Amino acid sequence: MEEQKFERGTSLSIFVSDRREDFSALIFAFAIAMGVLFFIGK
Amino acid sequence: MIYTRKSPALLIIGILMLIWGWLNQSGSVDGMQSYLQQSAYKDHIKVKEKFDAELRVATEQAAAEGKPAPAMQMPKSKFDEEKEKQASLSFIFGGAFGLIGLLTLAWKPREGGLDYYVSVVPGIAFILLIAFLVRWGADPVFANWGKAVEDAGILTWNFAKIFNLNYVVIGIVTGIVIVNVFKIPVWAQNGVRTARFFLKTGVILLGTLYSAAELAQLGGLSVIMIGIFVLGSVGIVLFMGKRMQAGNSMTAVLSAGMGVCGVSATVAASPVVNAKAAEIAYTIGTILIWGVGCMFLFPTVGHILSMGPVQFGAWAGTGILNSAQVAGAALAFDPNGIETLKVAEIFNITRVLFLPIIVLWLAAWYVKHEEGAEKVNLGRVVVSKFPVFVLGFIAMFALSSTGVFAPAGHYQGKYFSGEQVKEEKLIRPKESRILEGELTRLQEAEGAGALKAYLAKMNMTVGQRMATPEDVYQAIQKLAANRKMTERDQDALLKGVSKLEGLDAVAAGAIEKASKAAWHDAKTIKAFRDWIAWLFAFGLIGLGMQITGKALKQAGGKPLVIGGVVGTLKAVGSLVVVLLFVKEFV
Repeated sequence: MEEQKFERGTSLSIFVSDRREDFSALIFAFAIAMGVLFFIGK
Repeated sequence: MIYTRKSPALLIIGILMLIWGWLNQSGSVDGMQSYLQQSAYKDHIKVKEKFDAELRVATEQAAAEGKPAPAMQMPKSKFDEEKEKQASLSFIFGGAFGLIGLLTLAWKPREGGLDYYVSVVPGIAFILLIAFLVRWGADPVFANWGKAVEDAGILTWNFAKIFNLNYVVIGIVTGIVIVNVFKIPVWAQNGVRTARFFLKTGVILLGTLYSAAELAQLGGLSVIMIGIFVLGSVGIVLFMGKRMQAGNSMTAVLSAGMGVCGVSATVAASPVVNAKAAEIAYTIGTILIWGVGCMFLFPTVGHILSMGPVQFGAWAGTGILNSAQVAGAALAFDPNGIETLKVAEIFNITRVLFLPIIVLWLAAWYVKHEEGAEKVNLGRVVVSKFPVFVLGFIAMFALSSTGVFAPAGHYQGKYFSGEQVKEEKLIRPKESRILEGELTRLQEAEGAGALKAYLAKMNMTVGQRMATPEDVYQAIQKLAANRKMTERDQDALLKGVSKLEGLDAVAAGAIEKASKAAWHDAKTIKAFRDWIAWLFAFGLIGLGMQITGKALKQAGGKPLVIGGVVGTLKAVGSLVVVLLFVKEFV
């Protein structure tokens, strides 16, 4: 395995767990969707 | 541990982006951009010629009436819009990176969350800079070269298209070259780890591009195909692993990776079968080396076999192992459209949904084959390992199906509306008269006979029935009277008829023009597509930076043999099934 360079997360992610990464992506994706709706509209 | 590095790199990247924004805004790089954005530049020339002619007439008219020359502004061309987009993105990100770069140079970071998250920014800037260079530079350059070589007759085919030398492939290759030849700069290493997060965000957002009707068409097929291939792959890996004595946990974790969705399935299944770290690394290495090969090979085979977006999407979503590589292959096959990506992701998501079933199967298999294996709580493992971003995709799709993002009919990125045709886009009265003349000719015996034969030859339909010459007469009458297309059926029928041999060139041109005017960009859907393309470009460049020579070498030995056999069976088997049973119905 790769050397441990980071105290937090893994070599593939800055997040401590996949679950945390998934939820963060979820929040970010919804923020983008709301932004598109608000600024561009239908 | 302090993560933030004192480096001027972020500030320099910010300044470079700001300079590019300014060069675009001031028009200093118009010459270069006219080469890079050739199709948009052609549109620019047309818009400019039309504007110059209108300005000349208006000026002459004003002079004749003794009035001052009118102040007119040239409408924006696609070329102007592209430059504006590049300038805006460069200013936004360049400004932000420049500012954060300046602050970090003066800042003394303390251990904690702020230091950790600020340290991610230089890596993000680094990947984004590469994404800019690739999407705005290398991608159009290769496209132009491919076309130029074909036009010059040096090759009879477009090498850039056949080898899929677009931003997706170039981005990943750039990532692989950087990590293996130059190494990722220390200041960027933390940020590179955000690639998977942005890929997941892209997958969730992809839910905005589906309508319930489309999923209903594909759903059943994807579930059956994926079910057969996922369960089949897992079963064959387990069988081969046992025969080749690869070890229970190694075999089990490889079967999850080969069967379900690559790296994340490997990681998800590993605690269930008590896989060792080295076994996870072997499996990931095998999946990556196999997936990279598929990503280059699949689009080329797809083009050679003239597969459509639905067929290719179904094949890539079934046959390729890793979620990111599925997206890479789909975008490489069809970089400008999103249809292939959508279909591939439906299959991919369906495959991910099989993960809980596979996790349960592997847990049961492992407990049965491994004496003294620790008992695992299956229910808890499923709940804790289920990828939540898949639920995000489904939630976004559910929202999208309510029509909150865009009305039905907008999901192809364009929509038909006769009502929204602007006054200046109406066909000219002279063109209307020529259409009426063609109508009279087509109603006469000779014209009617040719039209009837043409409609039958082209299998043209109106709704559910075959089109008749009377349908064409009515459609032309309506077009001549309204000077625009008013119905979608009329548009489809006349577009087909415009290719009729012997039809007046002006009449055919008027039909094309009216059709073009009645189709409008679905702005919301276009914005979502843009976001998704950028998120995937970013994520895939970062993914390339994680494919080290070491990871590739780790694919050696038994896992590679098993992976190669199962991967080939899956790729060839799914290709055959797709070619036999999947039709182009989107």
